[in-house]
Amino acid sequence: MARRYDSRTTIFSPEGRLYQIEYAMEAISHAGTVLGVLAKDGIVLAAEKKVTGKLLDLTATKEGGYGGSGEKIFLLNSNVVAGVAGITADANSLVNFARQAAQRHLYLYNEDIPVELLAQRLCDLKQGYTQHGGLRPFGVSLLYAGYDPHHNFQLYHSDPSGNYSGWKATSIGANNGTAQSLLKQEYKDDITLEEAIGLTLRVMSKTMDSTTLGSEKLEFATLTVDPVTKAPKAKVYRPAEVDALLQKQGLAKPDEDTEMKAT
Amino acid sequence: MSRSYDRALTVFSPDGHLFQVEYALEAVRKGTCAVGLRGQDVVVLGVEKKSVLQLQDPRTVRKVAMLDDHICLAFAGLTADGRVLIDRARIECQSHRLTVEDPVTVEYITRHIATIQQKYTQSGGVRPFGISTLIVGFDPHDTKPRLYQTEPSGIYSEWKANAIGRSSKTVREFLEKNHKDGMSRDDAIKLTVKSLLEVVQTGAKNIEISVMESYGKITSLDLPQIEAIVTEIEREKEAEAERKRSRLAATAAGQAAMTQRAGEGSGQ
Amino acid sequence: MDIVLGIRVQDSTIIATSKAATRGISVLKTTDDKTRALNTHNLLAYTGEAGDTVQFAEYIQANIQLYTMRENDIELSPKATASFVRNELATSIRSRKPFQVNVLLGGFDPKTNTPSLNWIDYLGTQVELPYAAHGHYRPDMKLEEGLELLKLSLKELETRMPIDFKGVYVKVVDKDGIRDVAEY
Repeated sequence: MARRYDSRTTIFSPEGRLYQIEYAMEAISHAGTVLGVLAKDGIVLAAEKKVTGKLLDLTATKEGGYGGSGEKIFLLNSNVVAGVAGITADANSLVNFARQAAQRHLYLYNEDIPVELLAQRLCDLKQGYTQHGGLRPFGVSLLYAGYDPHHNFQLYHSDPSGNYSGWKATSIGANNGTAQSLLKQEYKDDITLEEAIGLTLRVMSKTMDSTTLGSEKLEFATLTVDPVTKAPKAKVYRPAEVDALLQKQGLAKPDEDTEMKAT
Repeated sequence: MSRSYDRALTVFSPDGHLFQVEYALEAVRKGTCAVGLRGQDVVVLGVEKKSVLQLQDPRTVRKVAMLDDHICLAFAGLTADGRVLIDRARIECQSHRLTVEDPVTVEYITRHIATIQQKYTQSGGVRPFGISTLIVGFDPHDTKPRLYQTEPSGIYSEWKANAIGRSSKTVREFLEKNHKDGMSRDDAIKLTVKSLLEVVQTGAKNIEISVMESYGKITSLDLPQIEAIVTEIEREKEAEAERKRSRLAATAAGQAAMTQRAGEGSGQ
Repeated sequence: MDIVLGIRVQDSTIIATSKAATRGISVLKTTDDKTRALNTHNLLAYTGEAGDTVQFAEYIQANIQLYTMRENDIELSPKATASFVRNELATSIRSRKPFQVNVLLGGFDPKTNTPSLNWIDYLGTQVELPYAAHGHYRPDMKLEEGLELLKLSLKELETRMPIDFKGVYVKVVDKDGIRDVAEY
């Protein structure tokens, strides 16, 4: 109760700025890169995992759990996949909120939530944390890749202030400037999903610190529409599938095991 | 806890300022410019539209929102704050219809928005809304166009024409000089565009115009329409400058002739 | 003793509601419109406890309109609207004072170009129907044939009903929205 009257909430600086939000954005600019590309027949999301280590137990993730492989990419609803950048703990609670909001909509209207509405719901929550309750803002930016019959495939970005906007291709997290200028050069309006996958992985391989990509550092997802049922189909790649994809694109690191066998 | 008077919101400074409210106005001044203008039977909202980035979807960049069928709002300042306040106003519009069987008047919804803004300058642990709004529309069963403004402090006021956001002072001064009562639709639109051109250097592509002509009848001008108005304004400015030049030249010539004649006269 | 009829034809849905407002055996009014337009393509027609009906219909109307305003003019589909109404009635029946309202929802989905007719009762039962009256129905009927069928149904009602229901208001929902049919 005492916290309600705490003055440590986000407040204006004399120049009319909200430093807490700007600091939160700063935190995000160090987070693992997330990249989204909108194609005419689908959307691609890729994310750089930061939590790595030789002893990290990935046996559970190897199987690819329901709704995502764990750290960066999450299924919010059957028609929306999201990539998060920033404070992971904050992200988890936002993902939880988004999933509830989507289910509430489904319960009320018997229809998937429109993508922009879901983004709006999250942004309203984020905005609230910048204005009242003596709270700090959420240190999370998200990319939403979704489909609904109103605007077909859509890609949105939201930041800690509670702003959001739609994009054809964009990136958040570390090196997002580099990623965005690469996207600007290479993006074409009639890009296909196959080309978008190639573009995404090429840009990721340039912006990530490591020279070679592998499933331990990369999460990947696509959203398409089933040609027959017209239902949106989200696919969060399992680690083995990510490796296979990289292999196909010629971006994978050489397999250590095969090298050992060769010697 | 290092709490100084300008950090806690509900406290006056020794010389009677509410700093957070003043700082919120700074956030408004950073926002893009919006102009509202009343004509004889119309009310026009013009906003400066930030250029969207190459890969951005222009559909999602919105500065003007409908609150109900007959009321339209433009804001300057923090976008997220604007969205949240607009949402609350929209709920009130429908709630009002439900409880009193009539749509809201423009003043009613303005007062409602201003009241929310005021609460956020006086409640514990909250910061004010970093937005000013211009609200336009028609009251039910009425033909008089209306224009109101609200500010972060919770002040609201009715205007013939006004501007908020970046360089709003310049625009307001321009409007004060050029606004006339009883302007036609075309004149009202033209003056709105003209006043925005005072601060928008990039011309038509960064201007958005909405015109409300009667209860519930609102139209947005498309780019070619705005371009045509901008060209017309430029042509008029050109012609005005030309007139000035030729007038100057004529005076100069006249003076020269007079001196010559005087010279001739004295010669005789 | 209110009459609410609906017929879904090839490219539109017809809704007819009796003009008489009755209480017991007396007719209080002969120009009672038992419908509310929820948005451009959804028309709600209702019967039930007087007072509850209008209260409920206008509450639904306000909520659907709010959705439209909030979503920058994206309107709820007939299916979503029907689900919402059903949900409200299902919540209401479990409350201390439930709404005694049954509704017919005439809609047209411009996204899929399909007309629809949803029947929802005060218990929260929702069914999508081709028509909510019995008669000589074919699903491929044109609007004119549908209106003709409506005439037959009404004639039957006039014969069998114990009171004069003062005629009906007829409205059509199609791709262009909701409109009145004058000649009834």
